[in-house]
Amino acid sequence: MTGRFSREAVIRWAPLLVLIALVILFTAINPQFFSLRNFARITISSAPALMVAVGVTFIILMGSIDLSMEGVISLTAVLFCMAFVRFGGNLAAGGWLAMPLILALGAGIGFVNGLIHVRLRIPSFMASLAMGFVGTGAAVLLTGGDIVKVDDDVFRGLLTYRVLGFPLMVYVAVVFLGLGWFLQTRTTLGRNFYAVGGGEDLAHASGLNVRRVRIAGFTLAGVFYAVAAILQVAKLGQAESVTGANFMFISITSVVVGGVALWGGVGGVWNALVGVLIVNTINNGMVVIGLPDYVQDGMLGLLVIVAVVLSTDRRAAIVVK
Amino acid sequence: MDFQRFKPHLPWITLLVLIALVGVVDDTFLRPANLLSLAGDIVPLFIMALGLTFAIYIGGIDLSAQSMANLITVVASVYLASMGAWVALLCVIVGFGLGMISGYVTTRLLVPSFISTLAVGGVAFSLAQYLSGQRALNMDAMQRDAVFGWMIGKTGMIPNELFIAAGLLAITLFIERRTTLGRALKAVGAGEPAAAASGLNVARYKILAFAISGALAAIAGLLFSVKLSGGAPTIANGFLLPAIVAVLVGGTPLTGGVGGVLNTAIGTLIVAVIRASMLYFDIQATQQQMVFGLVLIGAIALTIDRAKLRIVK
Repeated sequence: MTGRFSREAVIRWAPLLVLIALVILFTAINPQFFSLRNFARITISSAPALMVAVGVTFIILMGSIDLSMEGVISLTAVLFCMAFVRFGGNLAAGGWLAMPLILALGAGIGFVNGLIHVRLRIPSFMASLAMGFVGTGAAVLLTGGDIVKVDDDVFRGLLTYRVLGFPLMVYVAVVFLGLGWFLQTRTTLGRNFYAVGGGEDLAHASGLNVRRVRIAGFTLAGVFYAVAAILQVAKLGQAESVTGANFMFISITSVVVGGVALWGGVGGVWNALVGVLIVNTINNGMVVIGLPDYVQDGMLGLLVIVAVVLSTDRRAAIVVK
Repeated sequence: MDFQRFKPHLPWITLLVLIALVGVVDDTFLRPANLLSLAGDIVPLFIMALGLTFAIYIGGIDLSAQSMANLITVVASVYLASMGAWVALLCVIVGFGLGMISGYVTTRLLVPSFISTLAVGGVAFSLAQYLSGQRALNMDAMQRDAVFGWMIGKTGMIPNELFIAAGLLAITLFIERRTTLGRALKAVGAGEPAAAASGLNVARYKILAFAISGALAAIAGLLFSVKLSGGAPTIANGFLLPAIVAVLVGGTPLTGGVGGVLNTAIGTLIVAVIRASMLYFDIQATQQQMVFGLVLIGAIALTIDRAKLRIVK
């Protein structure tokens, strides 16, 4: 087929179609699903997850993988709360200083992660997994198992203050999504991610410093994880050593459901957005239609398989691992 | 001896160095009884890692292993009373079957194994919750001892788990080294397009690899439930990442075709020694996970044979 309904066009829009189909399905079962309140709920749970997904998208684009997010989020969330309290305990008095500090820290952890992967020549799966252990371990060490709270109405406004029905944190996530899109499409670094993912040999032979691109990618991912940590703290009002738990598998699943290929070079931040929305819509929808909670994990698994089958261009894959 | 020939031996040399290091600090660690009980405790993790080796050997991953073991602890606890010793067969069949489904989804529906096994893991978790009624279950102690008591006793000073581990290691080693299946798996792991072009039925062998992984995860779960005399849908949580780590530290990289079950045996022991060493080095509970991560980076950096990785992804 050619023209508007060519195979490429269908594949590009397939994840979005899956998302729309899910919304129609859940609405048909329970009309209350289709309401502003519920959409706000979905976007609140999506906001931190989206930041993690955007971060890991850059890594997956390069054909690598990053499993450090749980540790990084726990550590940055805990340190954010501690710094916030140390700087006065409210945003106006100096607590805002904690934000750039934590973003820089996220970048630093990502940089170290990339450095271990590239300099010690350890595959990213293992390097980042070990870094994740270190991050969680550091969070345990800092908190000693306790919870660190942040009670500042202005900061919690990220969750409580709503514009057009959606809380501020959703808009913050959208801004950072835009930043990710800008980096991906309008900068040399973004193009280099695709170059490395599309064929590392070729990128190297063309004179690209592949190692530097990889380290930059992990650093960038670290910044996005730190944003996720801040949003997660805004959502929960506290941080502990398990704040980052469950972000690892679900973020990678989301990215793949959205149409990003695990072998690299295919997809982008829009796919991450649609994927995160698909996974969170499924999770929310199962609750809204009143599915028993013990069925939900299995149902999520089945729906994710269906979504991946429908929404990704698997014919491009020579080998599916 | 030049360094290239030295490289494949790095995993067990790392293990010996670690054991020696801990032994220097505290020589009670080196007592045979201590080493044996240390090895005995790690057997369920080892069996799970043994299964994962097959998935990783063909360049995939099996993230369902932990949920599979959880489900099997529940299955074993629920059906021990009615089925007696046959429950072991049921457990292995369930594991093999769910593994086959993972393999089918991966090879026929072309869903990456990272996602397909995670999804099957979710299904297993739901099944476990449904079967158990979301409660922790207990086995009847008498019946457990009568049917599976032999698994957890001691013969002389050797824990019986070690015989099970050795038996499974021997079987999987035989599959890997002496059967067509083992050869085929190596071919698939080393280069799937080449294996397919040579006329190998790649999909069938990959499905089998995932099924073996599932069956071994099931055996791990069975042993675990016998040890704890019960089961629950979350009882084996926290096993997955250490099991993956054990495979990787042993020198089977995620790219496939390199390493094998013997490497996993060494890798599991390295993980066990690192964990146990925390006790001997007086490392606080709150510091242990961080230290584990740091030591892990060092251990992996030492044990990977990079000559066989074309591109480090």
